[in-house]
This record gives sequence, structure tokens and C-alpha cells, in this order.
Amino acid sequence: MIRTLLYVVAGLVLGGIIHIAAILTLPLLAEETVWTRIAALGARDRVVVLPPVEAGAANPLGLDPELVYGICEVDLSEGPAYMTGVMPDAFWSIAVHNREGTVIYATTNRDGIGRTLSLGIFNPAQTRLLAQQQLDVEEGLLIVESPTDPLFITVRLAPAHEAMRARYAHTLAGVACGSRPVE
Amino acid sequence: MRFVLRLLLMFSVALAFGFGLSWYALTDGRYFGVLQSGPWTAWPDAGSPAPNPYTRAHVVRVGHLPLGQAEGLQFTATTDSAGEPLTRACTYRIEGTTPVATFWTLVAVDPQGRNLARPGAQLALRSGDIVRPEDGSIRVHVGTRLMPGNWLELQGDGPFSLVLTLYDTVASSGFGASVEALPAIVREGCR
Repeated sequence: MIRTLLYVVAGLVLGGIIHIAAILTLPLLAEETVWTRIAALGARDRVVVLPPVEAGAANPLGLDPELVYGICEVDLSEGPAYMTGVMPDAFWSIAVHNREGTVIYATTNRDGIGRTLSLGIFNPAQTRLLAQQQLDVEEGLLIVESPTDPLFITVRLAPAHEAMRARYAHTLAGVACGSRPVE
Repeated sequence: MRFVLRLLLMFSVALAFGFGLSWYALTDGRYFGVLQSGPWTAWPDAGSPAPNPYTRAHVVRVGHLPLGQAEGLQFTATTDSAGEPLTRACTYRIEGTTPVATFWTLVAVDPQGRNLARPGAQLALRSGDIVRPEDGSIRVHVGTRLMPGNWLELQGDGPFSLVLTLYDTVASSGFGASVEALPAIVREGCR
């Protein structure tokens, strides 16, 4: 009896190891992740405005129907990434995600940046060049350092009324994004 | 023979416990990094640059676009305040207060994440669009049957969940008191 109990306890310990292994390896093993869904949009170095949420339709990215979303995919191995544009006068926010979807940087227009979106993303080597003033950047550029190269950027815009959605989506589609600073 | 049986027992305990616990941690997750307030649950560090391993696995598994900590916080409810699962056979009243935020949206989705609003109706209720009593609290009806006041109109039947997204909120920074401010979900009538 005691021996059987010992086997059960050993089973529980083994189960704990399986649990830890499953939790830690799941992000590496998952086949359909937010990254594969984003990569399918073809948003490399340009802003793609996501179609609005529809009732009864699948919503794999879990989008909020009240917002307008713009997505841009960049790779810092090709040089620093920039995003420049002027936003409408409404709530907007920006998030930089790594391959796992983890938000490495996020801010909103309420943090004192107003309507101007001017973001530069640099990897550690590029940040060093920036500190040594070997990279020219515009004044007022919001500088984000990213530990990894492949990234995607999400811009969320909240139109106050449904009637403004088309105009806001148009503004969002006009935001520049890519590895060249916009003059 | 007994040795083989015990070995089998050990492995079945290990597999059931290991995978069962993992599944629980990533769905319910009450003891694994999930924040709970009444019927509402959230993964508070889903938007942080260094989420804990459970949150990280959850974010990857769900595949949604996570909201950064500075952007807001998303709460989900699958039960009412009494602990009964939310079903479209019933009408619910959401009342109380919300934590301080620039604005919030309330959406009803089915277990697959599809929006449940009736065609032609609003897909979401937004804090700026609702009528409030003088004290500034909220009172919203959710259901398929015609209701007075603020009404999130649904269609079909079966289970659903409510998603409350607070944008630019203090709930993610100063937790404690503010999360107590989430509204209650009260079941009214059922078909």
C-alpha cells in the first residue's frame, strides 16, 4: 500500500515536471500564433488597416469593434524602423510587439505626444550608434529600444462615432512605416 | 506484475496531473496570474514587457492582439455575479461603477470569440454612448429580449461571455481599490 502511494507521489512529481515543461515550451510549439496571423496580412514595411469586426464572423485577433486598427511589420536587421504620421484628434495608442506578441513598448496620445506620431525603433547595436551620434534622427523622435529584430506595431484609433470610421481608417492608412526615416 | 501496474498508475497520474494542471492554468488560471474581481477576470501582465510564463503561454495560445499596459486592460466574464454561467436565454443587468479610464467598451462574444450583436444593432456599448443616472454609475441591460435604457442587443441562444475593455486606465497601475469598482452582473429574467 505504502509502495503504491509512493508511486502516486512519484507520478505527481513527474506531472509537475510535465506541467512546467508544457507551460514553458508552449510558446515555442504553438503553430498558429498572433505572429502567424499578422504575417498573413502582408503588412511588411507598410500600415495595413484591419477590416472592421462583423457580428457572427470569426475574430481571430480579438479586436474591439469600436476601434480602428493599423498593423505594420518591421525587421530591425534591415536597419532601424520608423513610423511617422499625424493622427486625428481622438484617443489613439501604439504598441510594439515581439514575435510572441508580447508588448515591449506601449503609449497613448494621453501621454503628452498629442497628434504627432513619430516613433523610431532601434535594436541594441543601433541604439549604441545612436548614442555615439552616428545615426541621424529627427528631433522629437520617440525612441524605443527592442532586444529582438522581428517586430510588429499596432496602432489603435478610437473614432468617437461610427460615421468617422472611414475617415480615420484613411488617415491611418496614410501613416508611413518602414526602415527609412520619412522627411 | 504489480510493479508494471504501479508503473502504469504512476504514468497515468503524471500525465493527467501535468496536462490537466496546464490546461487549467491557461483557461481558468485563478491561481496562476489571473486577477479576479467578482465575475470579471483579467490577465494583468498580458501587456507587460516581461509577462510571467503562464501569461506568456496564455497570450500565445489565445492568439489575440494583446493590449499594452499603458493602453488598457481587458476583463472577461463568463458567469454572473452569483456564479451562474451567462446564457442568452436570460437577460442580465450590469450595474455599478467602472475603474477610472478614458473610455471603455462592452462586447458580448460566443465561446469562439464571435460578436453576438443582432444584425443592425451596435456591436459594442461604449462608455460615451450610454445614459447614466445622476450619480454617474452605469446600468446596462444585456440580452436578446427588448429592454429599456441601455441595451446591448444579442441574437441566438447558448452561452456567451462579456468582454469589458478599459482604455487608458489606472486599473493596471494602482490595483487594489480600483478593481473593486467593477460592475456587478445580475440575472433578471429567463425564457
